[in-house]
Amino acid sequence: MAFGSSKSLWRCGLSAGLAVFGLATPGCRAAGAADTLPRVVATTTVVADLVRQVAGDRVALDCLMGPGIDPHGYKATPRDTDRLARADLVVASGLHLEGKLGGLLEKLAARTRVVAVAESLPQESLLEVAPGLYDPHVWFDARLWSLCARPVAAALAALDPAGAAIYEERARDYAATLERLDDELRASIATIPAGRRVLVTAHDAFRYFGRAYSIEVVGVQGTSTDSEAGLADINRLVGLVVDRKLPAVFVETSVSDRNVQALQEGAQARGRTVALGGRLYSDSLGAAGSDAATLTGVLRANVATIVAGLSGDE
Amino acid sequence: MTAFMGIPYNTLVVAAAVAAVGFAAGVVGCFGVLRRRALAGDAASHATLAGVVAAFLVTGRRDLPTLLAGAFVAAVASLGCLVLIRRSTRTRDDAATALVLSVSFGVGIALLSGLSARGIPGAGGLEQFLLGHTAALTAADAVTLAVVSLVVVLVVCAGLKEATLVSFDPAFAAASGWPVGLIDYALVALVAAMVVAGLPAAGAVLVTALVVIPPVAARQWTDRVPTMLVLAGAIGCAAALGGVVASALVPRLATGPTIVLVAAALFVVSACFAPERGWLARCVRPER
Repeated sequence: MAFGSSKSLWRCGLSAGLAVFGLATPGCRAAGAADTLPRVVATTTVVADLVRQVAGDRVALDCLMGPGIDPHGYKATPRDTDRLARADLVVASGLHLEGKLGGLLEKLAARTRVVAVAESLPQESLLEVAPGLYDPHVWFDARLWSLCARPVAAALAALDPAGAAIYEERARDYAATLERLDDELRASIATIPAGRRVLVTAHDAFRYFGRAYSIEVVGVQGTSTDSEAGLADINRLVGLVVDRKLPAVFVETSVSDRNVQALQEGAQARGRTVALGGRLYSDSLGAAGSDAATLTGVLRANVATIVAGLSGDE
Repeated sequence: MTAFMGIPYNTLVVAAAVAAVGFAAGVVGCFGVLRRRALAGDAASHATLAGVVAAFLVTGRRDLPTLLAGAFVAAVASLGCLVLIRRSTRTRDDAATALVLSVSFGVGIALLSGLSARGIPGAGGLEQFLLGHTAALTAADAVTLAVVSLVVVLVVCAGLKEATLVSFDPAFAAASGWPVGLIDYALVALVAAMVVAGLPAAGAVLVTALVVIPPVAARQWTDRVPTMLVLAGAIGCAAALGGVVASALVPRLATGPTIVLVAAALFVVSACFAPERGWLARCVRPER
């Protein structure tokens, strides 16, 4: 156990170092018999769901950001840095989704295994938003996200070799589930009249979704929720909604809906009533215990909302 | 109301609201500048963030009037603290202002980050009050802001004589039996009201520019208070409209910072070309 104790010493050192920046830090916990399960920390609810699907109950899973939290603007509290420092494995989404955690995760990678699942995807499958910068919202393409299961299984196997076969099998099953879901979602979206397959939302989280399921996607804000929508963007979208005779626009659970309200009012002034198609889950899953607590549930719920909103009468 | 002369509806709504706020902020700001209390407005504006978040936490609502009411309470409270610190601790004006500004802003940021870390539903978007968010203004919001601006300007007009006297010669005003303290508080409350009304346009960090830059620019042109008030209002209005027009023409350009930059440009022009005090006038004037 020489290696194990030196490693936990390291963690104590790291969390003590990090504690200098904060007030409340629970002290270093000695590894007791009670928590022999490998400790895995996932950054977002979406990633936590993926780990849960692959690992089942073989790990102690902790999710940094709870439901409804916007990962783009999330800043780590001292307690979070402690949670991260004590993890055996950190699973992040990556591609700058956790914008303000980036530096911390990088530092952490020097001593803990950190896997950024989206960054394991083949580059040509990613959407480039600026040179060298890729859209992080890959989980909205169920087939693409299914490719992320295997790297998680590999990381878990490295941590817990005894469970390697189990992880491998669960990852394969989950990937198959996502592929079946992918076909189902594509069929649902195809029922929307072709001219109205346009998804207008608060922020640009649905590009992969649009590419995968053949629906045009327009966001009021940019890819990150940090960028501000200017008046020009609102005016452009009012024009689009009126010209294309769209029956509904959508808001997201983790982003402000004030822009969308302004958009509705602008369309109303041009004689076109635009309904609020409902709330879409974007950067966070729903509350634990609800249908939307898993990614498959969220994808189904989103597609049902979109189909209902856009298929309605003119 | 539909598009007017080809100007999109949303641009009209935002322009109307921001122009009214820019005018009233310029007018009211004159007294802050003349009374050498310009920074008090800055302290009040930084405090508004805490008020916005607190209003959301208490009421659970996110409509503009509710949030701005919270902001106003916070602004007035911070000014109250300012007076209290100055009177009871022998702290000088500048130190007391800096103290209130930083502490109240710290409270706001702490509340805001606590809110986003806990993922309270519907909390998204409150951070827009940091830097302003004109594009999302609705017609109802615009009416609210215009009414506040109108009331503030009317109050200034009604109390013009008293406000002018207190601003220039408080000692004389007090000796003549005017309630100087009361008038002072009223002026400060008016500044706080306009700082709050300016929040959607420029945000907590920049809104102080709306109550400081136009009066300072206007001061270059005139020594008469009524002229200065009208000029400051016009400059504030022009800066606000300039910001809106730029933001409507250029995609992804934030309105608030643009408003401040236009105001600053108008100040530079005033400082250079004003007939008496301007840099150019002083250059060509014969040596005394």
